[in-house]
Amino acid sequence: MSVKTYAMAIRDTLAAEMRRDERVFCMGEDIETAGGSFGCTRDLYKEFGIERVRNTPISEAGFVGMGVGAANAGMRPVVELMYWDFSYVCMDQILNQAAKIRYMFGGKARVPLVIRGQQGIGKGNAAQHSQCPEVFFMHMPGLKVAMPSCAEDACGLLRTAIRDDNPVAFIEHKALYFIKQEVPEDPDFMIPFGQAKIKREGSDVTVVGTHLFVGRSLEAADIVEKEGISCEVIDPRTIVPFDYDTVIESVKKTGRLVIAHEAYKTAGMGAQVAAYVQEHAFKYLDAPIQIVGAMHCPIPFNATLENTVIPSVDDVAAAIRRTMYK
Amino acid sequence: MAQEIIMPKQGLQMTEGTIIKWLAKEGDAVKEGQPLFEMETDKLTITIDSTASGTLLKIVAGEGETIPVAQVIAYVGEPGEQAGAAAAQSAPAAEIPAAGGSTANTVIMPKQGLQMTEGTILHWLVEEGGAVQKGQPLFEMETDKLTITIDSDFTGTLLKIVHGEGDTVPVAQPIAYIGAPGDAIPAAEAEAPAPAEQAAAPAAQAAAPAQSAPGGERRFSTPRARWRAEEKGVKIDAVPGTGPEGLIIERDVLSFAAAAPRATPLAKKAAQSAGVDLAGITGSGPRGKITRSDVAAAAAPAAAEPAPAAPAAARGETFIPLSGMRKVVAERMKASLLEMAQANHRMSVDMTEAVRVREQLKARGVKVSYNDIIMRCTARALTEFPMMNASMAEDGIVVKHYVNMGMAVAVEGGLVVPVIRDADRKSLTEIAREAADLAARTKENRLQPDEYTGGTFTVSNLGMFGVDSFTAVINPPEAGILAVGKMAKTPVVEGDAIVIRPMLTLSLTYDHRVIDGAPAAQFLAKVKELLENPALLL
Repeated sequence: MSVKTYAMAIRDTLAAEMRRDERVFCMGEDIETAGGSFGCTRDLYKEFGIERVRNTPISEAGFVGMGVGAANAGMRPVVELMYWDFSYVCMDQILNQAAKIRYMFGGKARVPLVIRGQQGIGKGNAAQHSQCPEVFFMHMPGLKVAMPSCAEDACGLLRTAIRDDNPVAFIEHKALYFIKQEVPEDPDFMIPFGQAKIKREGSDVTVVGTHLFVGRSLEAADIVEKEGISCEVIDPRTIVPFDYDTVIESVKKTGRLVIAHEAYKTAGMGAQVAAYVQEHAFKYLDAPIQIVGAMHCPIPFNATLENTVIPSVDDVAAAIRRTMYK
Repeated sequence: MAQEIIMPKQGLQMTEGTIIKWLAKEGDAVKEGQPLFEMETDKLTITIDSTASGTLLKIVAGEGETIPVAQVIAYVGEPGEQAGAAAAQSAPAAEIPAAGGSTANTVIMPKQGLQMTEGTILHWLVEEGGAVQKGQPLFEMETDKLTITIDSDFTGTLLKIVHGEGDTVPVAQPIAYIGAPGDAIPAAEAEAPAPAEQAAAPAAQAAAPAQSAPGGERRFSTPRARWRAEEKGVKIDAVPGTGPEGLIIERDVLSFAAAAPRATPLAKKAAQSAGVDLAGITGSGPRGKITRSDVAAAAAPAAAEPAPAAPAAARGETFIPLSGMRKVVAERMKASLLEMAQANHRMSVDMTEAVRVREQLKARGVKVSYNDIIMRCTARALTEFPMMNASMAEDGIVVKHYVNMGMAVAVEGGLVVPVIRDADRKSLTEIAREAADLAARTKENRLQPDEYTGGTFTVSNLGMFGVDSFTAVINPPEAGILAVGKMAKTPVVEGDAIVIRPMLTLSLTYDHRVIDGAPAAQFLAKVKELLENPALLL
């Protein structure tokens, strides 16, 4: 075990996997000597060379497509998108190619591809560089989607993603990269997909949060605990596959559900989880399910406005209170 | 949809009743509780009150018609409402016949006594799917007056239990179906909501908002609140809602269930008269419901407490709160003595011949008791002295032309008087058989209402306790009661010799308003004569 940042956990896991399996290689913009915009590939080129830590032109469609092809050909590429906002440039490669090739080729072709990168607010990067597009990849059959909220989860989930023969959208967060945590050094430490983690036990309200909203939900839980409300906070860790069982078990106990995420509220991950839970656990609900998500408008550049559009800890607490009719 | 007026079940054996007279006509306004029609069964004639308010839209069964129990006989509702489209199809409530099969028999909540409006099912004695014979005990129930075991009216398979243990059901509502496997369940009843629905009810059904409150206002509740209400046997409509716009939420149901101890109507009454708080009692009934026996048990230790509290130095008192039955007996005894002018006289009876009759019958394998013989003789005497078989009414005296002999039976905590109907028309052996059966079932709490009502004269026997003679209190509204003492070998004078004879004292208490001393004495003399000369009964 050693304490390291989320970014370093990713870097070290990449290194360990590249040592273990020579088919694993990295591609992306400025990942070689620059070590990636957020340091996630720092100095890897020194150990593995520039063939395995490969800079690409600014052409997401091109290099993500190359990743699909390389995966078909038997390699295990880890392709970096500098911002998940840039996935819009290569949606066909991700949604029509990577997601569907195995199915369309009757299993004869595989796509053991990891597309990794960061999303969300944290650097005042405004409308085109602060989005959270995770739901597009949840919506499309054929992709797995991981969203680690801490360094340990980043390490365990990345290893699982690299060793998975299926295409994985590995979504990190720019504001979480610098958070430190103890991470196991075990070169086989893996966290299975579809296994949520209960970050805090409680009895009155179930709160499901991803990325920044794991922390914000825990803070909101502290606030409402003083008002006599006990929250159970769950981090799904992967949204495909989604651990609905853990959430439903919790809702059976509490009767109330709040889903909090940074992505736009409309048709976001929260909407899907709410629909599923009300369909499968309707009789256990004592209040309408609350979804906390960003306002339906492009993320502002202005910091005050950004904080208005993106939900705060208080917004999560208010949603919790609404389920208690308070 | 108009409300149905059905042929009510008067007593368990009743299967059909005859409408004698309608007290309202089609188009009249009627109110719930207002006398609506007179009917007759093979046991009694009775006026039935309306169970609904509104306009008497349609009379389906006319005067003189004989209708099976639970069948629709009229409709009450708003003018212009559809009066029984279902009834138009066939006389019984519309049924969906199974292809090639027949329809199951409906077991309904029976009416125990005229005031009963609902009963609580305590235990089902047969499981769903089990075989059941007519006359076999089927379920135990409790009303606000009694606990009773109900026998099955039908032979077959208990196809479906509609109301489970702990459910409180209005009189005449279906509670189960008995028939052959594959029989159709009658449609009109199948539509009635079954509270024991699976949790996996389709989302569409579960999405239907809460049932209307009696006032007709729609009340909303969350799915979880409804789940809890079902779990706890709470009627969701009874729960006050604290959510937005009166929404009933989980905590409302939980606090309602915790605050309101679940008890049967009889238990609630007993608790009230015993001065016992239901909140402190653990229920032994279905799903933890408090039954009358739980209340009695709770009341007893409460009474015992003052005793240990008193130190050895002072001898204190024990306070026993009144149980339901004790209270009723107390009230009736007092009322009897206050209302009537009761007088008493007694005679010694030589029971030699009665002993001989009993021995003769015993030798032939027929068991009769002295009390049976006394009842037989008394019944005959009453036919010759009808004023003893009467009741004081407001402006006159009602002389009854039938003799229903009440026989006092001591039960735990009280006294019950089952009745042998038409005792003057029954032979000694019939009386003996019936008396034994009634006494046994009285002690088991298994009497039907027509077996403890309608008496015209009572015989009370304390001989088995060694009492020589006593003065009994008349059982209102009767006019007389015969108290029987113990039979003992006694020296008596015959001619000028002293002989030993089995003697017994009969003590007659009579209502002096109805009958004077002389005729009352003649009546008792007649009873004595018959006992001493049983051949006169032949």
